[in-house]
Amino acid sequence: MKRVGIAGAGLIGNWHAARWKHLPVELTGFYDVSSEAAARAVEKFGGRAFDSLDDLLAAVDVVDVCTPTPHHKTPVLAAAAAGKDILCEKPLARHLHDAEEMVAVCQSAGVRLFVAHVVRFFRQFVQAKAILDSGALGRPGVIRTVRGGGFPDWSNHSWFADFEQSGGVVMDVSIHDIDFARWCFGDVERVFARGLTFAGVQPHDHALITLRFKNRAIGHIEGSWAYPPGRFRTRFEIAGDQGLIEFDNLAPAPLTVTLKPDQSPQAPGIPQPHSPLAPQDDPYFLELEHFLNCLESGPVDKFLISPQDGLEAVKISLAAIESVRTGRPIYLDEFEESAT
Amino acid sequence: MTVKIGILSFAHMHAYSYAACLKQIPSVKLVGLADDDPERGQETARRFGTRFFASAGALLGEKLDGVIICAENVKHRPLTELAAPRTPHILCEKPIATTMADAQVMIDVCAAHGTRLQIAFPVRFSPPVQRLKTILDEGTLGRIYSVKTTNHGRMPGGWFVDKALAGGGAVMDHTVHVIDLLRWFWNTEVTEVYAEVGYSLLHPGLGIDDVGMLSFRLATGAYGTLDASWSRPDCHPTWGDVKLEVLGERGIARVDAFSQNLAVYSDRTGKAQWVHWGSNTDLGLIRDFVDMIATGREPFITGYDGLKALEVALAAYLSAERGEPVALPLEREGGA
Repeated sequence: MKRVGIAGAGLIGNWHAARWKHLPVELTGFYDVSSEAAARAVEKFGGRAFDSLDDLLAAVDVVDVCTPTPHHKTPVLAAAAAGKDILCEKPLARHLHDAEEMVAVCQSAGVRLFVAHVVRFFRQFVQAKAILDSGALGRPGVIRTVRGGGFPDWSNHSWFADFEQSGGVVMDVSIHDIDFARWCFGDVERVFARGLTFAGVQPHDHALITLRFKNRAIGHIEGSWAYPPGRFRTRFEIAGDQGLIEFDNLAPAPLTVTLKPDQSPQAPGIPQPHSPLAPQDDPYFLELEHFLNCLESGPVDKFLISPQDGLEAVKISLAAIESVRTGRPIYLDEFEESAT
Repeated sequence: MTVKIGILSFAHMHAYSYAACLKQIPSVKLVGLADDDPERGQETARRFGTRFFASAGALLGEKLDGVIICAENVKHRPLTELAAPRTPHILCEKPIATTMADAQVMIDVCAAHGTRLQIAFPVRFSPPVQRLKTILDEGTLGRIYSVKTTNHGRMPGGWFVDKALAGGGAVMDHTVHVIDLLRWFWNTEVTEVYAEVGYSLLHPGLGIDDVGMLSFRLATGAYGTLDASWSRPDCHPTWGDVKLEVLGERGIARVDAFSQNLAVYSDRTGKAQWVHWGSNTDLGLIRDFVDMIATGREPFITGYDGLKALEVALAAYLSAERGEPVALPLEREGGA
């Protein structure tokens, strides 16, 4: 049984831990710069809290890197040096040269690196990709996606609001759909984007990104931390020359409960929507299960998301930010991240 | 432990879904299938990589752990009578039977042989429906006033519209799912049914009921309605629906159990379709059946559950015939 250690005991680290508990692994423990956070996770999920990353690495076979974006590189490089397989949260890194270095080091160390673009495990996205691949839509033409809400108030961590650390809404949120669009339509030729990234309204951020794919198809990606508070929205449509797929999470939910005003202290009279799935269909569970199955099925790399996919998603996101900054279309083949 | 399962008949299209679910569970071996129609049986056996048996008796000779019966409704009883002495677990497609007498015989013969009988009500495994059950159990809505429900479908054709094989049309086909959910939600029974039943209303010349509008009262005191009609045309983007609206003193809960869909429009097929991405309720049902076999526990959905749901469908026909409400339980000797 693989021994799994989680670096970073924040929100995502806790989510992953809850799923690892239902997989045939030993959840060995947690390391976090905050020993309190690690201790809290141990209380909930068992295992032990490690005093250092090196101690964690010495005790496990697999490292699940759930630290904030700017702190992915250190544990990934350390895990590679220790010969441990790695699952790394998205985005792979905040900067392109870091991402490139992480991919190269893992490759030369012979450890496997999986970048956790979890959208590829959401059933509605998986179904859409399957329908697209079935040819029912004909030749791919245009993809539109929306992912956004207000600035995440569930996060006490200021690092999201700090563009230097998080890369703003493009790198933290839209990168999901950038990866999905690339999964559907292939590599991107150029990107053009407008947004609030440099508009001085942080932590609010918003971007409208236009993509041109190498297969001539076109994409539009909206990411938002600037909507009024309320339900987070995800939406996509994929059109080909013979068909269209639409998904909108704000379509009437399969279950809503509306209480009379005096009965519902949180949100008087407002419907509470639910879209439940069976536990085994949970995308985070499916993602970890896939990663584990790939590790256990032998040396051939069958990851649904390759390190190169993780790298490309970072590159396109950075190019979009560069386009917001310069007002120019950015060609991916020529793109180099500016020093800023 | 390998769980050995056979399927008796593919007359009901749900058998294809159940077979696909069985293939997804590593601990299950689909030993074979039997079918009255050898051509359909052989082709289906090839499709699922299993063996075709020319008779149900031959398949039942394979020391199965369980069988799934998906024959025409009237054949549920003879197949159950054949299987009960030879296999310890039976999953029977809904409705359990077409008469109360047949349903009772099925329950009795299984009890006599210690065979566990489960009825296929997969909607109990819909995550939105399960969440609603939790909300109701927590008492969130307070006293329940009413429940407005639909189980619409397309007109399925084939033996489903032959009274001699199906026992009835839309009302027989689409009453039992929702009634089972309501009995399960509140551990209650239907005490009275009034029904308007329409024959060939939506499909001229059909010769069987295609519209059913049931109005009922539960032992809890709540009242409700169920629209069981085959009112979805062939071009409708999905097969139908299961919708529930529960009104209580504190608020209202609405479930549209099969609404986690992608809208797909394709000129290649000439169709607009809703493709379900929500959890597969049939897989939940089949996993539960396999779990019952593996653990030796009692069924989650019993033959008695099947019988009580059927009773409401039969009462609906009776009410329509008499033009007045019918009290339940039905007199066993009288109709049925």
